[in-house]
Amino acid sequence: MSLYYRFLILKRKCRNYSPCRLACNVRRLFVLLMAAAACLALAACSGEAENSAGDSRFEGSAGGETLRIVSGSENQELEHILEDCARETGVNIEITYLGSVDIMRTLEQGAGGYDVVWPASSLWISLGDTDHLVKHAQSVSTTPVVFGIRESLAQELGFVGREVSVKDILSAIQEGKMSFCMTSATQSNSGASAYIGFLYALMGKQQAMTAEDLQDEGLKAEITELLSGIDRSSGSSDWLKEMFLNGDYDAMVNYECLIISANRELEEAGRETLYTVYPYDGLSLADSPFAYVDHGDESKEEAFLEVQEYLLSNEAQNEIQRTGRRSSNLGVSEENRDVFREDWGIDVDRVLSPIPMPAADVLMEALNLYQTQFKKPSLTVYCLDYSGSMSGEGNEQLVEAMAQILIQENAQRNLLQAGENEVNIVIPFDDNVVDVWTAPDSSEESLMALYEQIEEEACAGGTDIYQAAAEGIRRIASDYDLSQYTPAVILLTDGMSNSGMDYEEFKEFYLDSGVDVPVFSIMFGDAEEEQLEELADLSNARVFDGREDLIGAFRSVKGYN
Amino acid sequence: MKSKLAGLILLVAVIAAAGIYYLIRSENQITVLDGYLGGEKIGLYEDEEVAEILADRYHIQFEYSRAGSLDMVTADQTGRDYLFPSSQTALEYYEDEHGRPLASEIVFNTPIVIYSHRLVSDALKAQGVVTEQDGVLYADMEKLTQLILDGTAWADMGLPELYGSVSVDTTDPTKSNSGNMFAALLANVCNGGKTVTEGDVAQILPMLEVIFGRLGYMETSSSDLFNQFLNMGVGANPMIAGYESQIIEFAVENPEDYERLKDDLVMIYPTPTVWSTHVYIALTEAGEAGVQALLDEEVQRLAWEKHGFRTSGYGITQETVPGGVTGVASEVTQVIPVPDYDAMRQIIDGLS
Repeated sequence: MSLYYRFLILKRKCRNYSPCRLACNVRRLFVLLMAAAACLALAACSGEAENSAGDSRFEGSAGGETLRIVSGSENQELEHILEDCARETGVNIEITYLGSVDIMRTLEQGAGGYDVVWPASSLWISLGDTDHLVKHAQSVSTTPVVFGIRESLAQELGFVGREVSVKDILSAIQEGKMSFCMTSATQSNSGASAYIGFLYALMGKQQAMTAEDLQDEGLKAEITELLSGIDRSSGSSDWLKEMFLNGDYDAMVNYECLIISANRELEEAGRETLYTVYPYDGLSLADSPFAYVDHGDESKEEAFLEVQEYLLSNEAQNEIQRTGRRSSNLGVSEENRDVFREDWGIDVDRVLSPIPMPAADVLMEALNLYQTQFKKPSLTVYCLDYSGSMSGEGNEQLVEAMAQILIQENAQRNLLQAGENEVNIVIPFDDNVVDVWTAPDSSEESLMALYEQIEEEACAGGTDIYQAAAEGIRRIASDYDLSQYTPAVILLTDGMSNSGMDYEEFKEFYLDSGVDVPVFSIMFGDAEEEQLEELADLSNARVFDGREDLIGAFRSVKGYN
Repeated sequence: MKSKLAGLILLVAVIAAAGIYYLIRSENQITVLDGYLGGEKIGLYEDEEVAEILADRYHIQFEYSRAGSLDMVTADQTGRDYLFPSSQTALEYYEDEHGRPLASEIVFNTPIVIYSHRLVSDALKAQGVVTEQDGVLYADMEKLTQLILDGTAWADMGLPELYGSVSVDTTDPTKSNSGNMFAALLANVCNGGKTVTEGDVAQILPMLEVIFGRLGYMETSSSDLFNQFLNMGVGANPMIAGYESQIIEFAVENPEDYERLKDDLVMIYPTPTVWSTHVYIALTEAGEAGVQALLDEEVQRLAWEKHGFRTSGYGITQETVPGGVTGVASEVTQVIPVPDYDAMRQIIDGLS
């Protein structure tokens, strides 16, 4: 009898995980003790080792298997449960957070670096698993994609205590009474789900949409108008929540569980909470499947089943419910109803009747249309470091990263292709602003020409990030009507800013400009993280780590506007 | 001297023991068979009792990759010893693509059923679409198909809490078997209750295109769809097509969950319905050993008692249904044959 089947017997005996946990783990106790010393030493110096890309690792036992999970960002809130899980099962857990589209692409390419996929919705596994690598998929929890609207605004709009449709929300946007934040539909599941829901509602369709439905001119006008109500976007649901909390916005589209989590923080800070609206004609549900990627390693599979069993155990499910997620097939237990607060508009008793997901080709067409025609065009200023230290490998990587974004054939692969009215500006800098290059339009040729300029520019001199960023903000604020664009400054640097403008001067300039434009940074080489974090905090943006994967970092940041 | 002798004897004994152990071991050498498996049979494959019988009596161990019944026929079969789809159509498809397999055998059967929720079945009962006999629910497929084709809103069926129109969610009929079988059933119903032949396809295809076109994205595995049905509630999947075996296996494996869900969860037998035939196809000589192993009497018994697959040897009464599942028909008599492969090929191509 193989070890695997023996394990399955053990597993079956342990269906109800907690009462017999001890019995099952006696054999492991010794290993655990051995590992404890090492773990303690590690924990003492690194805590739960976290790098700035948001990856985490939880120590199980020193000799234990290691499961590498690629997960949607919304699961970041479940890290304490994974930590317990690693301790209980002895399995080491490494988790990397990616958007749903990236998880789909990872699967398409064989998911070589991962043992487990954990996207927000099964849809992305079904679309990506062309090689039949995935098995043992089980939904860990469910949560609907909803609107969270400032309580008083929801009251004012008459959205409290009644059924609300997407059309009602569109009217509020048309009347200029509401704007909202939403993740990018081409990068993140919550954005994609909401967007598809909007399309159904505007089509007035209750059955699956077709490719022809998408060609309707009236639809184009309406969806463009609806999406023009988005004042901030993001590549990930969890960060959208963070951004929302750091700013001052009307509403956000996000998972019910993240609205609950945002409300907890808002309430704690004495701020106005969000009222949850379930748009009945465009609702979707995320089912959070935890699934094994089979690379033929039996002991990994055992470890996977053990971890999955733990996550589905009553004990873990109870914890998961405490985070505002509904248990798959259990719903919400009586004792956890206090988490799903009615005064926040949360309704666990209503029948959640989601819209049908379109067929794969129609969905892809819809996402392409979002990226190229329907979404608010992005207005991006790339401030690129051409100081002396960048010369050589640094510059080569920079050029390659820009090739991924500006050369449309590459961009399309990641659903990052340029939209119709998109604006791209490049500001090369060293200790001065070297130049400002603006692509005349977003055609393939213009972006290619811009790319060639980037490729040809040589590196020399010192570093002043503030002057370049300020020039970017100045251009955005003075030359464009920001209600028509999703703006961002993307700053790449490998050094410390030590001449010219300083942070205080930049801060003053930024606040005076009165615009809500995020200054995203990509950290490279010996970049001074503190300086970049300051900029991110000031402008409600985020720092990406390009030291290990510069191209990946550029792709991520591009997904944010 | 004495101790030296004792040492020598011990050494010989150890060598002999090792030799005998090695002989026994090599005789019991387990052959690992790798292949593609329809998702609905994973539970059976992962059943340790079954695995033990296969290992002890037949010296085989099954490894698998999950794939849809039709998908697996065209998937890369390098290094695979078998296919285990859930329909005769898949076998005929295989023969069409690759020629006659080394061996093939029907291992068990299960009827196609509709899973739904009490809320929905009550409404359908009130409309005369569903009837109950001896605690078993039956759906008049002609009436149900008409409601689907008409795009009747759930609200008009007395269910305003459900958004959308009357539909039965299925797996992708071009990729997975339960969806394919349900398409076969709908085709027969649209054909006036007669099994579709090649000549009828042109006439009924437009109706099938309407029905399946409205479903949008379809899962490619029956087990995923069933799990989704259990997890996402009545709003997400008011009705799905699946195998009768699925609920029995679920109830046996998760008695507590079944107990909690059983008042809400209902199984409806379409009238008429079609049989899903689980047929094992050997691709390699090693794979041939799987046929005999799966037909083992004990394996067949476990297939029914733990996984709900009907096998020839077992009479079924409602009292003896494994897992205490209610609403299981002791006999499934209203069955219509599935269209032959050529007709099904045309239907699959038409829906692709």
